[in-house]
Amino acid sequence: MLIPHPLLGLRDAQEFTYLGDARLIERPDPSAPDAEAAFCDYVFLRDNPAGVHRELWFHEQGDRSWLVVTRDTVTHEVLSAELARGVALTRKRSGI
Amino acid sequence: MSELRPITALGAAPPRLASFGALEIRENAGLALASLALRRGTVEATPFGLTLPGPGRWVAGQGVAALWAGLDQWMIEAEGRAEEDFAAELKQVAPSCSVTEQTDGWVDFEIASSAGSRPVEALLSKLVNVDLADFGPGRATRTGLEHMSCFVIRRSDAHIAVLGARSSAGSLWHALETAAKRLEER
Amino acid sequence: MTRLAGGLIDRSQSLNFTFDGKRYSGHAGDTLASALLANNVRLVGRSFKYHRPRGVLSAGSEEPNALVELRTGARQEPNTRATTVELFVGLEARSQNRWPSLGFDALAINDLLSPFFTAGFYYKTFMWPKGFWEKVYEPAIRKAAGLGRLSMQADPDSYDKGFLHCDLLVIGGGAAGLAAALTAARSGARVILADEDFRLGGRLLCETETLDGAPATEWVSALEREFDSLPNIRVMPRTTVFGVYDHGIYGAVERVSDHLPEPGDRVRQTLWRITAKRAVLAAGATERPIAFADNDRPGIMLAGAMRAYVNRWAACPADAVAIFTNNDDGHRTARDLAAKGVHVAAVIDARPEATALAGYRVITGGMVTGSRGRLGLKSIEVHGNGRSEWIDCGALGVSGGWNPNVHLASHHRGRPIWNDAVQAFLPGDDGPSGLIPAGAAAGHFSTAKTLRSGAAAALRALNELGIAAALPSLPRSEESRYGVAPIFYVPGRKRAWVDFQNDVTVKDIKLAHAENMRAVEQLKRYTTLGMATDQGKTATVTGLAVMAELTERSIPETGTTIFRPPYTPVALSVLGAGDMGPHFRPRRLTPTHHWAAAQGAVFIEVGQWMRAQYFPRPGETHWRQSVDREARAVRSAVGLCDVTTLGKVDVQGADAGEFLNRLYSNVMATLKVGRVRYGLMLREDGFAYDDGTCARLADEHYVVTTTTANAGLVYRNMEFARQCLWPDLDVQIISTTDAWAQIAVAGAKSRALLARIVDGFDLSNEAFPFMACAELTVCGGLRARLFRISFSGELAYEVAVPARYGHTLMERLMEAGAGLGATPYGTEALGMLRIEKGHAAGPELNGQTTAAMVGLGSMVSQKKDSVGAVMSRREGLAGDRRRLVGLRPVDPAGKVVSGSHLFAEDAPQRLDTDQGWIASACYSPHVGSMIGLGFLENGDERLGEVIVAANPVEGESARLRVVSAHFIDPEGARLRE
Repeated sequence: MLIPHPLLGLRDAQEFTYLGDARLIERPDPSAPDAEAAFCDYVFLRDNPAGVHRELWFHEQGDRSWLVVTRDTVTHEVLSAELARGVALTRKRSGI
Repeated sequence: MSELRPITALGAAPPRLASFGALEIRENAGLALASLALRRGTVEATPFGLTLPGPGRWVAGQGVAALWAGLDQWMIEAEGRAEEDFAAELKQVAPSCSVTEQTDGWVDFEIASSAGSRPVEALLSKLVNVDLADFGPGRATRTGLEHMSCFVIRRSDAHIAVLGARSSAGSLWHALETAAKRLEER
Repeated sequence: MTRLAGGLIDRSQSLNFTFDGKRYSGHAGDTLASALLANNVRLVGRSFKYHRPRGVLSAGSEEPNALVELRTGARQEPNTRATTVELFVGLEARSQNRWPSLGFDALAINDLLSPFFTAGFYYKTFMWPKGFWEKVYEPAIRKAAGLGRLSMQADPDSYDKGFLHCDLLVIGGGAAGLAAALTAARSGARVILADEDFRLGGRLLCETETLDGAPATEWVSALEREFDSLPNIRVMPRTTVFGVYDHGIYGAVERVSDHLPEPGDRVRQTLWRITAKRAVLAAGATERPIAFADNDRPGIMLAGAMRAYVNRWAACPADAVAIFTNNDDGHRTARDLAAKGVHVAAVIDARPEATALAGYRVITGGMVTGSRGRLGLKSIEVHGNGRSEWIDCGALGVSGGWNPNVHLASHHRGRPIWNDAVQAFLPGDDGPSGLIPAGAAAGHFSTAKTLRSGAAAALRALNELGIAAALPSLPRSEESRYGVAPIFYVPGRKRAWVDFQNDVTVKDIKLAHAENMRAVEQLKRYTTLGMATDQGKTATVTGLAVMAELTERSIPETGTTIFRPPYTPVALSVLGAGDMGPHFRPRRLTPTHHWAAAQGAVFIEVGQWMRAQYFPRPGETHWRQSVDREARAVRSAVGLCDVTTLGKVDVQGADAGEFLNRLYSNVMATLKVGRVRYGLMLREDGFAYDDGTCARLADEHYVVTTTTANAGLVYRNMEFARQCLWPDLDVQIISTTDAWAQIAVAGAKSRALLARIVDGFDLSNEAFPFMACAELTVCGGLRARLFRISFSGELAYEVAVPARYGHTLMERLMEAGAGLGATPYGTEALGMLRIEKGHAAGPELNGQTTAAMVGLGSMVSQKKDSVGAVMSRREGLAGDRRRLVGLRPVDPAGKVVSGSHLFAEDAPQRLDTDQGWIASACYSPHVGSMIGLGFLENGDERLGEVIVAANPVEGESARLRVVSAHFIDPEGARLRE
């Protein structure tokens, strides 16, 4: 597969390490009253859809950036790739 | 200067040098390296007058050069200054940046061709999955080379550099040597 | 020797070779198959199941029959297709699957027993008795079946890999591929033309038709010259594109030196990973046979292959030849044979009407219904015009039509579509994106159409890429008729072969049908149709057609099978691409590696690292002697150990402290500059996963260490935390593992030793206490870092210098420490020392233990959040009462074995009574017996108790006393001296 790195262009998937569901960015609030339940979901429950999925890939052999790659797991078509840092910052700023 | 004598990444006193047809591979023990990372909110630095290059690029200045290493992070090279505390010098000219000494983290193999770009490109195509149409002089990338993470720099048409982890210098030399020999045999 | 005139062989070069030990001669340009045919060798092998005599069926990589063992010694290679082996001088080939000889094969008895070996035979016969499959049936079947033999020696050759990028990859160098490559090359696009043959031209090399009035080879040669002159096209003969992968990545194998007697210094094959923006699939088509009774005799071959042998290789198949066809192409073979002076006894055309292309006899509406000739065809039985006759011929060319080579188009599960006009499956439009079929692979069966189709495919690809291109002028060529009729097999009682390589007959398909194995997938697995190494290239469509007729459905209703990579077999060696022996993976050497090697160290692999395990001295005959001596030296004097392999990460930034607070379970932000703290990391699920030290060099500058094994993982997780979890923190990280050589200086005399190398640095306990760190210089001005940390429980330091000085620093420490008893120690003593100290390491932090279990519960701060903090408090983890304890044998000579499980004395040893396990064990020179570290239920409250360690694997159990995990200096006084 080729991953369209937002800074470096198309890069071979062999350079990357795969993590999975991009919801791992959304670490729960540890001080919330239901934190333990929220962390249980966060740690143990992952979406694994047959179809469009947002996934975390780490450019381990390259620039060490984490990417959020939107990919169809059925066709392997990659719809987009963003810097995870940007995704996480946007999320923080919008106060989610 | 310390009374201790250094050894090269390949484990000898003198750096290794070998030729394979038109290609010469030289272990460069003199290259000083330091990483430079921007801190939050800092404006871009111009250490030693270098304009820090964008993703996938390398620029050379007076005795120093810089290559993009990651978002807001560069490797700064200084030829012939491995014995100096180059990181400290860099920190002085870029005080608002995070600077980390990297000289001994890497082994630098300079590969030059006496027959133009072809041997260099043939060698690269055996080593790294890089589209050579987009890898002219001034380009640099970090990628896998025989399972090792390396920086590959196109210094000029017929001259590249491969920077690999110092501890795997022997394996990297073996990979470069094997590929270069095979080109020679063709 | 039967050679005809003409052909594309170099008669000036004769090449001697042997087959089954007999000497023959061929020419440069021959394949092994063409050379054998030219030498009148028709019998070349025995079939897989029935050991039927077999000859060459095809002239290409689809060959199911002519599989031979090639070469000798370590280079012996089984199942090589004689039709693709380029002849070289001294080639040695042997037939396979026969004993004692090819002419007389004892296991041909299987053929007489064939009624027992029909479809589903294995499933029905070997079901009972139950235990017999593994011990009796399978070994017997494997011995009887199977094809060639492995050399059972290491592969002496080298293999290579490489990466190529292009705008257009053209797969196949026949008419369509050449037209595509020409169109693209002239546009300036970057082109790769890959062809599995050793000579460009494809079918053009096998035909007599002309291009622009001249032999086709002239056009091909002109193209080759043009390609040579263009910098933007790479022509790769002997290169098979075997697989299509996602996003335009193609796998290809280049047979660099398979055509040479030996590769010499060259690689044998190269694996290419080609990234192509677009590709043209111009892989041609494969002819299929018509199944009839006894249609597998040597001498019966595909009509197109026969034409190829006559035209390209000037190899005459027999003195008298017949053709059996259901289409016009069969007549072209008859025409070309007649033109070369070969006697064409008859053309049996299954269609009611046919036009002869030359003056040979045509039997229209005819069928071949049988054949004779045990080891080679002698005559065929022909039924036509209401009567039967036997016609004498030594060879029969059969054409049942052509199947486009759609394989690569279905590598992403694309379904080929049936086309009635050409009676074949064509690539569907759901193939890999960017792959455009052209030429015969797309169902165009005349040269003129093929050329146009190839050029058009390239134009389309270039257009999609925005590259301007023009249609080149294509040579005038033949618009031949095809006119194929849907005739796939001749009905009859006797066995008619469909899949030659796996010995599947029409009868087997009928049986599968009768037993209700009618779906294509069932048919395939029940009969093994198409499951041989040729993936049924000549068989699957015929098999489907038979099943379609039996079920009274059309072929598309019956279904199709799709293909997987590889298109043709690929050697595992080339997939490994040379990663063999010591170069299987990169090796990392410590800065003192060469020094240690010179000391005679024994090394051990730790991940990619090579570490000194111990340093044997003269007279020491057992590793324990060396290791005990090294450990004692640390306890009584001073030891030196290279600990560079521990991961080091430089952490800087205004929020560096806060960042580390969130990564480590304990507090790091309060650490004072010039101090070090031990740190524990948890996984987000609350389990402990790594430990190390955290040194604060400046306000906004820390250096942290990780375990050797987890260095990569911890770094990745740190980047994850930095980029994905807390991108708002100002923190920058970079690995410095390789940059600093770090040497542990451990033991009561470590301070005395270090005092001899530091440059006026105050090492006193007051100035530089336990858990202090500093930047300083040593040995007259060398920049260094000093950490007062201990893994052994002794007064100890770690000193770091730029890696290039590690070697000489070690030498200097040994010199300076000579009078102090300085002793190098390896990983074995390191492990022993830390077990004696009760210091948790990899075996204790195994991913299933909590901070509390390893006795570090107090290190999980309750005042702040960190990775894993919330989950570490959940009931299941917080309630785990197993604790790290020390274990000593009650009998001092007793054994302590790691992995043993712990039970209360007199308790039954069951899962529900299991009270823990032993994680680490060693002999302790300090204690004088074996000792262990283990996790025991309520262990911290059971000191002094005797428990049982069960080691059922070795049938042993031992009585152990529960003690403190700190076998030495439990108060930690030595560290702080």
